[in-house]
Amino acid sequence: MTNQPFGGQLEKLSDFCWRIPKSYKPGMRVDGLIYTSEEMLQQVIGDQAPEQVANVAFLPGIQMASLAMPDIHWGYGFSIGGVCATDPDEGGVISPGGVGYDINCGVRLLRTNLFYRDVKPVLTQLIDELFNKIPAGVGKEGPYTFNPTELKQLMGSGSPWLIEKGLATQADIDHTEAFGCLEGAEPERVSERALERGKKQCGTLGSGNHFLEVQVVDAIFDAEAAAVMGLEKDMVCVMIHSGSRGLGYQVCDDALKLLRGVPEKYGIELPDRQLACAPVNSPEGEHYLGAMRAAANYAWCNRQLLMWQARECFARFFGKPWEQMQMSLIYDVAHNIAKLEKHRVDGTEKKVWVHRKGATRAFPPGHSDVPPMYQKIGQPVLIPGDMGRASWVLVGQPGSMERSFGTTCHGAGRAMSRRAAVRHAKGRRIDEELKQKGIIARARSWKGLAEEQPEAYKDVNLVVDVVQQAGISKKVARMRPIGVVKG
Amino acid sequence: MYELFEHTADLGIRVKSSTLNGLFSDAACALFAAVLDNPESIEAEQTVEFELEGTQTDYLLFDWLNELLYYFETKHVLFSEFSIEVSAGGFKAVCRGESLNLEKHHAAHEVKAITYHGLKVEQTEQGWQAELIVDI
Repeated sequence: MTNQPFGGQLEKLSDFCWRIPKSYKPGMRVDGLIYTSEEMLQQVIGDQAPEQVANVAFLPGIQMASLAMPDIHWGYGFSIGGVCATDPDEGGVISPGGVGYDINCGVRLLRTNLFYRDVKPVLTQLIDELFNKIPAGVGKEGPYTFNPTELKQLMGSGSPWLIEKGLATQADIDHTEAFGCLEGAEPERVSERALERGKKQCGTLGSGNHFLEVQVVDAIFDAEAAAVMGLEKDMVCVMIHSGSRGLGYQVCDDALKLLRGVPEKYGIELPDRQLACAPVNSPEGEHYLGAMRAAANYAWCNRQLLMWQARECFARFFGKPWEQMQMSLIYDVAHNIAKLEKHRVDGTEKKVWVHRKGATRAFPPGHSDVPPMYQKIGQPVLIPGDMGRASWVLVGQPGSMERSFGTTCHGAGRAMSRRAAVRHAKGRRIDEELKQKGIIARARSWKGLAEEQPEAYKDVNLVVDVVQQAGISKKVARMRPIGVVKG
Repeated sequence: MYELFEHTADLGIRVKSSTLNGLFSDAACALFAAVLDNPESIEAEQTVEFELEGTQTDYLLFDWLNELLYYFETKHVLFSEFSIEVSAGGFKAVCRGESLNLEKHHAAHEVKAITYHGLKVEQTEQGWQAELIVDI
């Protein structure tokens, strides 16, 4: 397994969409469709990610096409940026690899009533305070410990459970995808091992690409939508990227172990073991779904508790309650998840399991699952870029329902491998370089910062251009990082 | 002997050894080299024994690394020395290491999981070779 360029068939359909025909490999049930641009195409075919798009097309019950968003890059099993919908009534499967180890990894954005001019003079001290207080990195535990009974309640109810603990408000829940709780979670299907890994990690950031960033609204592209979200030019916001921590990783791992030999049992032929799956309507499939939903609910609680700690930090630092600084949640999106949703396929409405592996739901204005305050503008979509350039706030558009099962991109996508990034950073101080650009970055490890340096990522602006051009989401605001906290 | 190899989002581990015991031992060293920048700083101060069951070598390697990862994440113990005895139904491992101390041990990555993607264990003319990718 090496990082060879993709040498297979790829046909241009439009300026933003390329096809891998299902004739490319025997066993593909549908085409592969990759949303990208001429400018990014060379990066897309630079590794095995397109091959993974073709492999996903093998999954039984897959509808329309195996899709990839423009931030596509080589993953394990599914590509990162992969989207696949399966119909249980046509033998459709659920694949833990299509959700990933970090179940319900996602992003949330909260606003403040502070502006860049208020924060600039004290920025270094503010970031140091956040870095000291927000648990991040290898071996770090959080201030919250939940015993097995509490963990099960938390996983059964999701972030609304935190209201009674005084760690969430109803407004937080109203601004969270799925209101912070997937129905049908079965915490009793979550193993002891997962509970053990999860008991002290709810409210911790983790490492890798997870972060907490203090950002500033750099440019507004849709004044109406920005106003509805309460965003103004130069306003200070906080973006948080994390998932279900060790508990979620263990749920995925347990499921993959349980699925050893299962595809063979159901006569499913797969080109990669990491695509292991089971029919949705099977004991194995139901088991995973119950546990996956529980882990997803844990992840919403994790991001809620990270946000709560950030609010407390701001309150201590500025000496006033967070409510007074109007630190309200704009939205929280999941980008590693599988959900049962209604979509039109070939003119027929169907309930399908949409796997989003590094892809974000992007429902358009008027969709019944968009919360009331965003009905007119569409569901907010949060796209973290890299720590030096930009992140984006978008809204879902009608094209997403036609083209991508209500889905858009989730980030910039990596352009360099972690090792290449470390070589590229040799002899450099990434934190000093960022400081020159007015960004204060703090990380537990030099290597972590080197691997996550801006150059390691594709240009998020190009990624967002493609999803806008494809009509699957629309630009609202570009965010500029001013402070970065990493594991 | 082990090396970490390129993977866009994650990290690859490649291990070669003349014996199967050596393969399991070197793969474990590779895992802790992914976790720490300075794996040479891990001292052999405490001993933990593991017993793994299985007959399929690739799954056995997977389960072994997973076990170490789980132990590290829940008990915060890093290992540097491994004495492994392979039998027909699995293997026994005596591992030596110490508790994580972030002052001394420079954390590099939180390894989320061992993946099945590209998981390969082969017998070669020189002995054994394995490849796998860990999720970062």
